[in-house]
Amino acid sequence: MTGADRQRLRQVRAAILGNRPDNSLSNTLYPVYVAVIAAGAYGVPAAQQLFSSLDGKWLAEHAWTPVGAMVAVTAAVLLLTLVRLVGRVHGPVVPPLPYLELVVASPMPRKVTLARHWRLSLGGSTIGGLLVGLVGGAGLAIAKVTSPVVLLPATVGGGLLGVLVAEFWLRGQVHGSRRGSSLPGGRRNALALLDITGLRRQAASNVTIGGAVLAGDLRTVRLDAARPATHARHVRLGASGPLAVIAHRDLLGLRRAPGSALYGLGFAAAGSAGLMLSLQSPRTPTVAPLVSLVLAYLGFGAWCEGLRLHADNSGTSRLLGLAYRDTALAHLAVPVSAWALSAIVLNAGLSLAGLARPTALVWALGAGALLAGAHLMASFRGLPPIGVFGPHAGVPAMIFWYAKPLLATLVVGTATAAWAARADNPWTAFFWLLAAAAGVVAWGLALVGKRDRRS
Amino acid sequence: MLGRRGAAVPAVRGSAGHVLRATGVGKRIDEAVLLLSTDVELGTAECVVLRGPNGSGKTTLLRILAGTVPPSEGEATLDGSPVDERHDLTRTAIAALIGAPATYRDLTLVDHLVLIDSTWGRAGQRADDHADEILELLEIDHLAERFPHELSSGQQQLFHLSMVLVRPSSILMLDEPEQRLDTDKRDLLTRILLDRKADGSSLLIACHDPAMTEALADTVVDIRTS
Repeated sequence: MTGADRQRLRQVRAAILGNRPDNSLSNTLYPVYVAVIAAGAYGVPAAQQLFSSLDGKWLAEHAWTPVGAMVAVTAAVLLLTLVRLVGRVHGPVVPPLPYLELVVASPMPRKVTLARHWRLSLGGSTIGGLLVGLVGGAGLAIAKVTSPVVLLPATVGGGLLGVLVAEFWLRGQVHGSRRGSSLPGGRRNALALLDITGLRRQAASNVTIGGAVLAGDLRTVRLDAARPATHARHVRLGASGPLAVIAHRDLLGLRRAPGSALYGLGFAAAGSAGLMLSLQSPRTPTVAPLVSLVLAYLGFGAWCEGLRLHADNSGTSRLLGLAYRDTALAHLAVPVSAWALSAIVLNAGLSLAGLARPTALVWALGAGALLAGAHLMASFRGLPPIGVFGPHAGVPAMIFWYAKPLLATLVVGTATAAWAARADNPWTAFFWLLAAAAGVVAWGLALVGKRDRRS
Repeated sequence: MLGRRGAAVPAVRGSAGHVLRATGVGKRIDEAVLLLSTDVELGTAECVVLRGPNGSGKTTLLRILAGTVPPSEGEATLDGSPVDERHDLTRTAIAALIGAPATYRDLTLVDHLVLIDSTWGRAGQRADDHADEILELLEIDHLAERFPHELSSGQQQLFHLSMVLVRPSSILMLDEPEQRLDTDKRDLLTRILLDRKADGSSLLIACHDPAMTEALADTVVDIRTS
């Protein structure tokens, strides 16, 4: 940045601020202050509880082995890949629209006009990484999994990971901005590679998503963040019966979104396998079925796009010759079948390897019914009630309202799985799983009926 | 994307005669008057064109007659029964394009038409052929494998029209179908609608195009604003 550039940028900032004082430093430091307090007050105790609930001895034995290192490196690589993908939709350098139109679009070098926004993201990511490392290290040390010496490498490692996250995030944004452009290296060049169209698109999307989050409208967030389909356009939807064509539609949708199909398969397989394995021993920590159900919920949900699109379309001109409720149920055919198929294959593999009993398959299929009901609830929940925006409700009430389908899955699934793993007769727990799953499906169908009446 | 209540019905087009009637129909919300009291009658194979300045209540009247909005005064009936989109008869008889219909972002144009036609009971090769015919009829067959987000605004309008034309109905209800169409496409649409009328369909159209109105209308209803 030359002296002339600095001078021009100062003039721009003075023009933007007008007569108001420059509070940018305090505005930047305040979230850091809040994050540090939250990490100390909530993060460290939560991490300690998590590591205490796991088998501390087993963790201590495996954490510093080559396998442990490989798991850590794999997790870091997956995180960086994910962040790079996120950058293509929402990058770290997204100034407000007026600033984009009036300043970034001017002849001033882009690496100058965007530097401040990049520094904020880089700083935030680095501090976030430091805090995560610190919290994780403190949790390990307090739970007596490792010695307190781990604090230093964990914090430094977290900080380094934070820097890498920011870099990969920016690379993702550059890649999304100009497909195929090379990155000569160095973040300043990366800033210069960001084009105004991509920046404008991301800034507009930020406004939409910001407004939708404030209004509790996750549907708008999802639709705005989704990439438009372009795959397999030459494959035609085959005509069939009224209900079968809905299932064919969903299969075609997954074929045109192979990422969702694969991500769904990976998460559903991991969740299904985890659930079946967690039933094998009464010593299995409760966190095992809990984490498995979270993965299963995410995987099953990736296959439910047709169901969500059906819910999104309520309130518009009706063109299909099927009842609203019947269409919703038909949209469950593909995710339920995919879940059942993956559970059967996994159970066969685990049974052959002597890791799970064939009866665990029945449990996984019962969990499929629970997941179907939860995703009916999630797809047709609509907008949050006015009450959650009230002065006595706030963000926790809204989060609870949105998390109800996931919470229903976790509470029912974890409780019955833990019961089954410890009981002499697991079929009693299975009966209660089915009864609760039927209740969750009925709850979902009630929401479908509510949307139907309103549209 | 939504559907009618009840079981799938066989495809019908224009064969069943219906009388759609609005008697003294008006709509108010508190102090705001959306539609002054209006009378409309649409018989079999007739075309009624609604005319009036912006804000006169044409779309509101169409919504009332499609059974999606109840009138605050007067009565709207289909064959003597109150018109209500929750009734099978209404849903089967009326195909309405009032505002943009919902589309699936992961389906191409031809997929949408096959999906709609299949859910109305037309299966197999007939649904495939019918979808192709409708796209060809509207001269957008070259766009068959595009996704909705890849269309221009005029192409979107033709696609929306195709989604309404592909499903069976006795009454076609269209809100300013000429919007965003060039002169050639307006002529094409006029010819298609005249053919539909000749086949026995009834048409209720809100329209600002004098040439289309002249060609199509058996009756013109001017919506009062005061």
